[in-house]
Amino acid sequence: MAEGYQVLEELGSGSFGKVYKAIEKATGETVAIKLIDLEESTDELADIQAEINLLSTCKSPWVTEYKTSFVKGVKLWIVMEFLGGGSALDLMKPGPFSEAHIAIVCRELLLGLDYLHSTGKIHRDIKAANVLLTDAGKVKLADFGVAAQLTNLKSQRMTFVGTPYWMAPEVIQEAGYDFKADIWSLGITAMELALGQPPLAGSHPMKILFTIPKNPAPRLEGDQWSKDFKDFVAQCLIKDPDRRASAKELLRHRFIQRAGKVEAMRELVERKQMFDAQEETTSHPKYYEETMVDLSPRTEEDEWTFDTVKPATMTPARHTAKRRKMARIPSSDANSCASMMQHLDLNAGPLGNVTDSPLPERRRASSRKSSAGTAIRVSSGSTPTARRISNVPKQPLGLDLTFGNSPSTVRHFKRVSSGERRAALTSNPPPPSNSFHPNPQARTFRPSPPNSAHPLDMEVNNENQPPAPVYPPMPVTKDALYGRRAYGKVLDSVFQEAYADCASPHQREALGRVHQAWAHLDQIDPQGEFLLLKAMMDRLQGDSKLASALGVTVSPAPTPKQHNTKTSETSLSGTTIHGTSTTRIRSNTTNAASSLSKQSADYSATPTQTPFQTPIETPTGTTSASPIKGPKLVLAQNNPHLKSHRRRQSAFVGGEKAFGLDAYGGLDEKKLPGHVEKGMEQQGLLADILYGQWMQGLKSRWPLS
Amino acid sequence: MAFLFRNKQKSHPELVKSTKELTVRLSEDAKPNPKVEEELARDLQQMKIRLQGTPGTALLSLTAPAHPPIVLQAAKAPGADGSAEAEVNTESVFQLLSYIIQEDLLYLLANNIHKLPFESRKDAQVIFSTAFRYKPAGASDPQVLHHVIQYRPEIIIALCRGYDRRESAMPCGGVLREALKYDSIAALLLYDEPTSDGKTRDLASVNPDIPSSGQGVFWRFFDWIDKGAFEVSADAFNTFRDILTKHKALVAAYLQTNFDMFFSKYNNVLIQSESYVTKRQSIKLLGEILLDRANYSVMTQYVDSGEHLKIIMKLLRDDRRMINYEGFHVFKVFVANPNKSIAVQRILISNREKLLRFLPGFLDDRTEDEQFIDEKSFLIRQIEQLPPAPVPPQAAS
Repeated sequence: MAEGYQVLEELGSGSFGKVYKAIEKATGETVAIKLIDLEESTDELADIQAEINLLSTCKSPWVTEYKTSFVKGVKLWIVMEFLGGGSALDLMKPGPFSEAHIAIVCRELLLGLDYLHSTGKIHRDIKAANVLLTDAGKVKLADFGVAAQLTNLKSQRMTFVGTPYWMAPEVIQEAGYDFKADIWSLGITAMELALGQPPLAGSHPMKILFTIPKNPAPRLEGDQWSKDFKDFVAQCLIKDPDRRASAKELLRHRFIQRAGKVEAMRELVERKQMFDAQEETTSHPKYYEETMVDLSPRTEEDEWTFDTVKPATMTPARHTAKRRKMARIPSSDANSCASMMQHLDLNAGPLGNVTDSPLPERRRASSRKSSAGTAIRVSSGSTPTARRISNVPKQPLGLDLTFGNSPSTVRHFKRVSSGERRAALTSNPPPPSNSFHPNPQARTFRPSPPNSAHPLDMEVNNENQPPAPVYPPMPVTKDALYGRRAYGKVLDSVFQEAYADCASPHQREALGRVHQAWAHLDQIDPQGEFLLLKAMMDRLQGDSKLASALGVTVSPAPTPKQHNTKTSETSLSGTTIHGTSTTRIRSNTTNAASSLSKQSADYSATPTQTPFQTPIETPTGTTSASPIKGPKLVLAQNNPHLKSHRRRQSAFVGGEKAFGLDAYGGLDEKKLPGHVEKGMEQQGLLADILYGQWMQGLKSRWPLS
Repeated sequence: MAFLFRNKQKSHPELVKSTKELTVRLSEDAKPNPKVEEELARDLQQMKIRLQGTPGTALLSLTAPAHPPIVLQAAKAPGADGSAEAEVNTESVFQLLSYIIQEDLLYLLANNIHKLPFESRKDAQVIFSTAFRYKPAGASDPQVLHHVIQYRPEIIIALCRGYDRRESAMPCGGVLREALKYDSIAALLLYDEPTSDGKTRDLASVNPDIPSSGQGVFWRFFDWIDKGAFEVSADAFNTFRDILTKHKALVAAYLQTNFDMFFSKYNNVLIQSESYVTKRQSIKLLGEILLDRANYSVMTQYVDSGEHLKIIMKLLRDDRRMINYEGFHVFKVFVANPNKSIAVQRILISNREKLLRFLPGFLDDRTEDEQFIDEKSFLIRQIEQLPPAPVPPQAAS
């Protein structure tokens, strides 16, 4: 069956598989093919099957069409309708949508949801990234990776899936939910289209799991929006699902009734194409390559001896031979033939720098359009499935995680990374050590020039990827390493948390700027960063009032609150030393950081903990600089195990919970679920469960080493 | 047109009659007839709504029960005992179902489900499911299903034949798996035999000690799994697995009687299938069947065979890791067996050195899988301790 398709360039990839553009030879129709490597997939086959079952029972103009699926070798091919317009999220790159456009999108989505709901399906992951458009501007629902089929109209789902920012309160509370959950997500999506990001986008994705059920529902505000639009959003965002309107009812809403023709959406598709065209980019699409198998013949040694049969006849020649055939992608196109030949060379680069071939030129147009152009989700976003945790390239926590597109979910989906492309383009790719240049998970196909100064590019493109300018390499000094460490382990998360705790947008903005500036400093001059920190600490300690207010006593030891009763200096430092040494015995690789993380773990175990724990982190950073305690801790810092400790920290990411604490080090995530606020006490149990689920996912996402 | 019809509701008998007539016409027409399809689609949708209620009414009356905060993978039906059916009139459902039975509509639908329009296939599935689930108040027996098993088992067989076509595979599979909750359905499928008059055998006449002819509907599953599109094959496998795992005593007896035919087909068609998915799933299922207590005697018989061991040992050397892994879980049964047959001992002993070289590095990247690591080292110890030459097993008589 695979012979029936000519596979073209890659559209996107993720843990769930890669998506290619392809042409069905019999009809000449362009399709999107998702290839799932069943050997690699950690999912049970049953999960994949469930998605296919669901897709294959959908037939609606508002839902991306499933065509067929088959197994070839160890790969499952899922053939879907190709949507060339990209996702609504892509289309927002040049700027948010106008109200008129949003009305059209909402109407089309409601029609799609009405269809799904009437056939007993819940989508469970409605968001701009999952709304795809055709070239002509038709709007379709995509990505059924987490959708559910109810066997009975009165069934309710209990599974915790979705993308936090778009999740309905009842889904988060796991009290059982139904079709209405999609309506909430639709309301959030409408706000996302209007504002460029979902509400609470600035908060930490774990934190908003508590904010959504607790806070009043978000509202669309501002004079630029009509009353109807605001009311529509308000109707979608009613916290009580029983009072929330159904898709059918919302289709009668005035905002929807007066929505224009769907053809108007074309404007946005064209706007995006213009926008892309302005970015003078050349794309080097990745082409489909058949996996090649080791051709070395098996030795007799490799076979079992069964006395009755000769080894030669035993060779399981059948399937191996089949895979060795190196079936070429059937290709009627001389151009792609040429490019395929390039790939035959084992030494050729992964992308086979075919700059001189006519191909890239021809592809450019299509790959530009195709940014999200698959029926199958390729959106940078990612989908959330608590069950999907895979070893995708780790992604450092950056300023930009605000949108929830990348960090929010557990199932990772990344675009063909423009970073990778860039690496392929430049003969001298940025050194891999550059792990502080975040995000391998670029979200566009358009490789933006590394130093693109396009304001929009900087502003919009950073949804998933902060601009990653290339700086001259800095000498690696010990101070620089400390600086990095301080930032990566402590400061960054402190900023994140403080940011998340900010009430007013002004405060946030201000704090965001500081954070950005600091990130920049860390990027360019970690050594200076460290010296700055050190100087700050020294001065602070110099001022006794400030020092005691901060918990940084002139006496060396950090003063954890539990020990506050012990005021005498000796007993205090005694306690601390004791604490440190126990940790050392326990973990053998102790350094300041691990003892710290133990402390903070202890802390968060205390339920009455005040939300602000950050000061506790700081002292440890300080201790190394403090005069008395100094030698001991400096020794610890110099500990040769430091490196291996770090390595292990990263190795344990995704490991069990106990390691998670260590691996998290300074990132005081723990306090998010741990902290109890008034009126939230009953959430304790929920918090534990949610926390467990999220830790799993987050650990594989945000390693901190 | 549809506008005018809205007010004039068909009565239950009228609805069933017209559905029946339209289905007959659809099955007789060689060419697709859009008008018939459209009318039939309307009828089936109407029937579904009468049996199940509409999403709107169902949701309005939905009260959120207090669920404990646990994660369930499956949909949770609050009140599967029928209490949630409150908004559809139970009396009316009973009447409608009676007419459906009376007109033998289910049999007709089961045979023609592939010809129905796209959405109607799903409606038909709902009609079957609701009918099969239906229990009168207070009764523990699904009344309609009971009737079908007793008087119209052909319906069940016809549903299986839905796997012949891609269009009907999934709706039929869904209905079958739900019905397979009841062991009589599994028995019906396992002991099905072709008869001269085309009628399905009465379960009462089945003698479980007589080996199957291999012509019954159960044996068709091997073809459905091995051939066909991914969805069909995967769905057929799910049903096949349900048949073999849901009702242990029944299956254990069946496998004992039909041991040779079953395992020769299982090995040849499934374990050595060209399809990766079929191969992988069937090795896994084999492991599950063998390790089930209820199948103890089947297991001992299976692991006595040297031929079976050879097939499994080849899986360990397959170049696909998940095949190796699933194969390992069958291989371990051979090695762990304290009373190995001479044939099995001979193979293991003549491969002792190779196994001892091979196993330590076998899937050694599965470092987090403690059970696997433990089992692997257990197997290595067992193989080290093998006698130099085969000894007759103690239990051998």
